[in-house]
Amino acid sequence: MPVTAGVRNSPYDLGMTAAVQDQPGAGRGAAPVVRNVCGMDTTVYAPGSSSPAVRARSLTKTYGKGEATVRALDGVDVDFEQGRFTAIMGPSGSGKSTLMHLLAGLDSATSGQAFLGSTEITGLNDKALTRLRRDRVGFVFQQFNLLPMFTAEQNITLPVELAGGTADKAWFDTLVDTLGLAGRLTHRPGELSGGQQQRVAIARALIAQPDVVFADEPTGNLDSRSGAEVLSFLRRSVRELGRTIIMVTHDPSAAAYADRAVLIADGRIAGDISDPTPESAMAGLDALRTLEPSVATAPGTGV
Amino acid sequence: MASSFPTARLTLAQMRRSVGRLTAAGVAILISTAFVTVTLLAGSVIQGTTHDMIAAQYAQADAVVSIPGDDGESTFADADIEAVAAVDGVEAVQPLTAWYGDLRNGGKGGYQLFTPVPEDPRLSPLELTDGTWPAADEVALTPELAERLEVGLGDEVSVKRTIYPEGWTTSQAEDREAELGEPEEITESLTVTGLADDPYGAYTTFGGAAAVPAAALQTWSAAEDSQEQVTELLVALDEPLSGTTVPAALDQAVQAATSGVEGVSVQTTEAVAAAKAAEKTGGQDLVFLVFVMTFAAIALLIAAMVITNTFQVIIAQRTRALALLRCIGAGTGQLYRSVLLEAAILGAVASAVGILTGALLAQAALLVAPSFDLGVPIPATIALTWQSIVLPLVVGTVVTVLAALAPARSATRVAPLAALRPSDAPTLRARSGRTRLVVSLLALVGGFALLGLGVFLGMNDTPQFGLLAAVGGGAVAFFGVVLSAVLWLPRVAAGLGALVGRTGPASRLAVANTLRNPRRTAATSTALLIGVTLVTMMSTGAASARMSADNLLDETYPYDVSVSSSSPEYVEDLRDALAGTDGVGATVLVTNGSVTLDGAKDTSVVGTDPQDLAAVVNVPEEAKRLTEGSILLTQETADTMSVGAGDEVALSGGNGSVDLDVVITGAGPLNRVVTTTDLDRVTDEETWTDIWAKISGADVTAVLGDVQDAVAQVDGEAFVMGPAAEAAQFGQVVDVILGIVVGLLAVAVVIALIGVTNTLSLSVIERTRESATLRAIGLSKKQLRGMLAVEGVLIAGVGAILGIVLGLIFGWAGAATALSLMGDVRYAVPWTDIAVVVVIALVAGLLASVLPARAAARTSPVAALGVE
Repeated sequence: MPVTAGVRNSPYDLGMTAAVQDQPGAGRGAAPVVRNVCGMDTTVYAPGSSSPAVRARSLTKTYGKGEATVRALDGVDVDFEQGRFTAIMGPSGSGKSTLMHLLAGLDSATSGQAFLGSTEITGLNDKALTRLRRDRVGFVFQQFNLLPMFTAEQNITLPVELAGGTADKAWFDTLVDTLGLAGRLTHRPGELSGGQQQRVAIARALIAQPDVVFADEPTGNLDSRSGAEVLSFLRRSVRELGRTIIMVTHDPSAAAYADRAVLIADGRIAGDISDPTPESAMAGLDALRTLEPSVATAPGTGV
Repeated sequence: MASSFPTARLTLAQMRRSVGRLTAAGVAILISTAFVTVTLLAGSVIQGTTHDMIAAQYAQADAVVSIPGDDGESTFADADIEAVAAVDGVEAVQPLTAWYGDLRNGGKGGYQLFTPVPEDPRLSPLELTDGTWPAADEVALTPELAERLEVGLGDEVSVKRTIYPEGWTTSQAEDREAELGEPEEITESLTVTGLADDPYGAYTTFGGAAAVPAAALQTWSAAEDSQEQVTELLVALDEPLSGTTVPAALDQAVQAATSGVEGVSVQTTEAVAAAKAAEKTGGQDLVFLVFVMTFAAIALLIAAMVITNTFQVIIAQRTRALALLRCIGAGTGQLYRSVLLEAAILGAVASAVGILTGALLAQAALLVAPSFDLGVPIPATIALTWQSIVLPLVVGTVVTVLAALAPARSATRVAPLAALRPSDAPTLRARSGRTRLVVSLLALVGGFALLGLGVFLGMNDTPQFGLLAAVGGGAVAFFGVVLSAVLWLPRVAAGLGALVGRTGPASRLAVANTLRNPRRTAATSTALLIGVTLVTMMSTGAASARMSADNLLDETYPYDVSVSSSSPEYVEDLRDALAGTDGVGATVLVTNGSVTLDGAKDTSVVGTDPQDLAAVVNVPEEAKRLTEGSILLTQETADTMSVGAGDEVALSGGNGSVDLDVVITGAGPLNRVVTTTDLDRVTDEETWTDIWAKISGADVTAVLGDVQDAVAQVDGEAFVMGPAAEAAQFGQVVDVILGIVVGLLAVAVVIALIGVTNTLSLSVIERTRESATLRAIGLSKKQLRGMLAVEGVLIAGVGAILGIVLGLIFGWAGAATALSLMGDVRYAVPWTDIAVVVVIALVAGLLASVLPARAAARTSPVAALGVE
């Protein structure tokens, strides 16, 4: 499908203005860099409107009761723009996965609100959530999670079939082309490499043209070469196909492929890096680590 | 062994993690062992009952003096009996004798066992409950017998017996009647003076007993054409015996007194009863045990398949843990032993619970049994023997361990490296199926060939060899089918699945899931297939047998009931009585006459009224072809007489002769039938008339009973024959046997269905991540449940459908082999039974998916994101 949405902007427009950083030193070396990876078209589709694809308002998730209460997510407010590739970064246990689960309607919030477009998803019942996931959300998993008994093609078209429809042929071809899967469609997951499996999973996530795709550590199970490939494809899906992707990762070099990195620590937003580089993302993470004790003792001071 | 302790600890730890799965597998073993236990307990109840009934005839005798009597001649003479009575310490002696005679009250009654009035109450199982013991020309009856004869105290009954002239038995004459005179048939009247109960059921199998004075019985017995052997003397002593052996002094004294006969032994009553019971249970009861145990074995086989399946999956799921253990130094032997130990523990625990369940069931059955009038004294409690506990325990445990051998071997094949690989869906490599293919092909080809040979032999009048070949061939072929199931059953499932898959994406997922593990699907379906095949085979065989029997009876007897009279003057009265009975339709008189037909002397022909005949027989069109001046002949008879249709044959007798036109009939029973008018012209001597009737009532057996009662009211003797009732009774017998067999097989089917649930549960557990992924990408809970339901139905449905096909083939083959002797075999399809089996299988497949589906639907989509 040709992408018509979005206004062509210079990549330089992005990130230049939003160089974050309340944290001293966090922005060190975070100078915006125009990268030209793999010689691909780096034309960026910037958000056409200011309405964010995904929003969180005072989103809170606690586990346990009384003394044993753990605040996995503590009043998070964050917006994710349409047509952009955003990384949620943080050390393990920071709450980044929880945030994604709540934003994607996979888990229920203790309090606060999460919106997908104009739909408030906190408060939807299981049936509505299932429909929402089916029609408006795509997922890419760390373990690929392809169905072993289906071919690559069947795996890709599965979400559409579950909805009782048939895949748009042109869009399917575009995806297969972009992700370089043309020769692999009749293979079963067992016959594909990790990187190929993850590309099939990306195609599956995009087939229904969802409003947003959530990717959970998509390179966690891949070697660095395949990982780089997959991340490039994710970025291409955003830039060339106009999709919105939110990726959870703890890997700064993965986050560097994103247009923006949201840092999270101890259940709170701890930073926001525009156009991250591996160095700036790493620096941001490092800053979080050194800050951790103070954040823990004096919440609210870190951001 | 040093390593045994950690192995045991490891086993227990792993078992704790798999409690749910092991429980499901254990239920299969539990049911099987409960089955075995109930069988053994039932066997011992039957044994006990048999023993009690045998012991009952010895009453409270202290000792039994017996001789073998195998030669059919040796007997205690009166002198021997008196000599034993004279022995010091003996108080009374009673020979164990019985005589059978025709005992009646009007039309009711028949051959009946007579027993002497005991000289000493200790020597008879009968206990006088009402009236007095009979004197000459009197009789005492057991209550059931009195009820059957419909007589009470003071009523008269008649006994008919034949008196053979003296010396009849010893005469060497060629023609004894010429030398000694003809045997005389006499009927004597006896007054009922007493009712004697038979509390231990000594005469239950004889339909009760009639007691007459010993002297009368001796006289009657002496007048028979053969002399009854007296091989046992019941002895009552002055002092009851204290031990279990007969004192040497008494033994010697009795031996001395009976020196005239050989092989005399003196034993306590208990010893004799025990020996006789053992003799008897070695026969038919053993057959019963083998019969039921066959079904127990089938149940165990299916349970074993369920266990193997379960362990395969448990091992697959533990791949990572097993690999880890191998990494830290566990030997393959340790892992192997660990799995077998687990199986042994599971088998032992499940068997123990199964035995308890079986014992409780048996006890419950005994508590309920007395409310059905079985006519047999049944013990109130089960007698638990060590066999009935140890045997099921050993069998259950051994079967479980054997079933776990293959999974245990696959546990040893887990490479230590597997611990380091990312955890993917566990898969078990299937072994090369070449051996399986060859063996199963041989079994299939050989088995079906042998089955075919059996059918061929059966249809060519050697059913005994045919049946042997067919049963053997069927068993081998079935073995081949079961063995090869993994090779072709998934393809059948795929074919069915292709149809099912059109109904939606969830169904397509289900079909794909069913096929992803062909071995497990095949094993699960096969377990059900075995049960369904056997059920269908039995019901097909039974239906074919019933249909063939009905057919045969229809061909042999064109009427529903016939009444023969002893004397011609009562025929019309009998016909009126018959026609007046509720449920009886048209009647017709058929007169048999002995005539000369076409030169052949003493040929039997039947004269009847064509109109009446057509109204009664089941071939009315054929009956209507009879007209005055014609004779019905079958083609076969016409051929032997060298005549054809339209030819004339001469019928002649005492009164004259007529020429009759030959009409060829297709109905065998209407062979040599002429009109009454024609028969009357030829002869009125040497004829006897029967009445044929059609039964219009629904309950044939009841109508037949009414007919017998109605006929009994008419003077003269009448003999009632009811082929329709025979057919109904045969049908009932077949139904009862079928019911029992299907009931026994139902256990196997239930176990197989547990296997289906088990397989689905295991699949759900295995596929947690996958289910979560599907939920994450938009599969609704309802679709997920639907997917598992389709999976369950597909697995069960394939097993059921294939089982029905196989069952029909085997059932027909069996019917063709066994029933060919009876005439034309009809191949019935028991549609109702098949429908029931299909419905049960499908519903059970659905139900089997309920619990697993609930568990699967609980899976949060978040689980798809987790690492493990």
